[in-house]
Amino acid sequence: MGGPDATGAWHADGELLTAYDEERLDAAARWSVEAHLTSCADCRVQARALVDPARLRRLRAALVDAVDLPRAGVTERLLVRLGMAEHTARLLAATPALRGSWLLAVAAALAFAVLAARLDPGPDGNLAFLCVAPLLPLAGIAVAYGPGIDPTYEIGLAAPLRSFRLLLLRASAVLGTAALLAAAASLALPQLGPGAAGWLLPSLGLTASSLALATAVEPLRAIGITAGAWVVAVVVTVPPPAPSSVLFAVAGQVVFAALALLGAAVVLLRRGHFESDRGFDTTPRFAARRLR
Amino acid sequence: MTTPAPTVRVRDLRMTFGRTRALDGVTFDLVPGVTGLLGPNGAGKTTLLRVLATVSAPDAGSVDALGLDPRHPDQRLDLRGRLGYMPQEPGFHARFTAFEFVDYVAILKELHQRRARHAEVRRVLELVGLGAVRGKQIKALSGGMRRRVALAQALLGDPDLLVLDEPIAGLDPEQRLRFRELVSRLGEGRTVLLSTHQTEDVVALARHVMVLHLGKLRFAGTPLELAGLARGHVWQSQERDPGALAAWRTGTGQHRNIGNPPAGADLLEPTLEDGYLLLLGGDQVEEAAA
Repeated sequence: MGGPDATGAWHADGELLTAYDEERLDAAARWSVEAHLTSCADCRVQARALVDPARLRRLRAALVDAVDLPRAGVTERLLVRLGMAEHTARLLAATPALRGSWLLAVAAALAFAVLAARLDPGPDGNLAFLCVAPLLPLAGIAVAYGPGIDPTYEIGLAAPLRSFRLLLLRASAVLGTAALLAAAASLALPQLGPGAAGWLLPSLGLTASSLALATAVEPLRAIGITAGAWVVAVVVTVPPPAPSSVLFAVAGQVVFAALALLGAAVVLLRRGHFESDRGFDTTPRFAARRLR
Repeated sequence: MTTPAPTVRVRDLRMTFGRTRALDGVTFDLVPGVTGLLGPNGAGKTTLLRVLATVSAPDAGSVDALGLDPRHPDQRLDLRGRLGYMPQEPGFHARFTAFEFVDYVAILKELHQRRARHAEVRRVLELVGLGAVRGKQIKALSGGMRRRVALAQALLGDPDLLVLDEPIAGLDPEQRLRFRELVSRLGEGRTVLLSTHQTEDVVALARHVMVLHLGKLRFAGTPLELAGLARGHVWQSQERDPGALAAWRTGTGQHRNIGNPPAGADLLEPTLEDGYLLLLGGDQVEEAAA
């Protein structure tokens, strides 16, 4: 393994160094070799001859890269920890809608809806919750992507990554997050029973329709139109004495399932429309405003 | 000197926003080197650059950049891979550090191999002189530094075509100098189109100059040729000449007049700015002559 030289100083021998290079040593032995190498020029010379220079360069580059890298933000670290590819995590971390402030707003909106339903445990309160929940993913999509929202929208368009891919990535992340929060909220409403899931199909239908519409008009407008249509539909289908809506009955749910499929089909067929700006106003409205 | 083959061919480009004709039949070629695009505000410069950067699709006309036609989805993607674009008002994700932001754009440019991408991000940040502040959040950077971050992202992947919209606006004189050095170096072998409304930038940098006005290309040539347009139309006098299109008192106390000089006027050597002013105000000069 190693032993003292003529002057009595201890040195590592070739066998030990080879084992070190081939990563066959346990942690304690590895550390003592490393501690010795930093202080002994003779052994360093001997070790250098054993280690493949290309491997050394590669390891050094990895080390320098890791040390120099700025610490990623909370969202990004969380996503990477959950197993997402590092570059996908960065694309998502840049989504305005996944910021803490937006998530807080969604949680607050849901909390109020739940509170309303709890204060009025009758059908009125339930209906309030069911009507609010589908609007939240829609609001999230509105601040996830597009001209005026994504400060790097223009730079993104001029880059080879397909804007459609970015849109889908972000839309699904936002939809997933909002759905998770809404699902958690509906757990807080046990009196709704299975009916608590009534918001799910409408929110899918609305999201898909708004994205389909966004292939024709400015994304924010598309979402405004869809949200407006939902509110009108809710108001129209709730006749004053009866606190229920056909939207959450089987017929309404089927319509929203169909809307979701139709919307998805339109989005797929017209995805090319996401690849240029069509004269939209690209001035960043929110995220970058404070910077200018 | 032989003329190099054009790398970008633009033919009869038209673009209308509502009633405004932002581009009204624009045709030109670009060759490797720096080309300056001059024009007053609202001339259509940004619209033109956005079309070249494949951000906007024109209403009519064609673009052939690096042999690729952006109307074809596949060729457009190829072109985007070889293109660097710095928008006029680049937006930032303010919470990202300079490094993270440029790294983010590198991901948009599909540089997926992690370590190679990081090395490329460091390279472009060094190139624009921001190596030392790469770990700072963008919101903590000065305006001039942010513009350099925006330039850095355009340089990722060493693009063959650089489209820079007012890259020098808002920089202090020292930063401008560094910018000029960098851009002139970039212009060696690459095709660089930069818009500005400052004629000094063009004089300092550009081998070719184009003047856009009200959506039409009014001039394309060398800076010397643009200055040459004003030959015999610039003179100095003790008082402001009433026949001048434009006149101002210079530091010497004399008036510099641009327009149609009276007989026996004390003619001056024209600058590129004189040529530019005369070109834009040319209609009035013609009227005065009639």
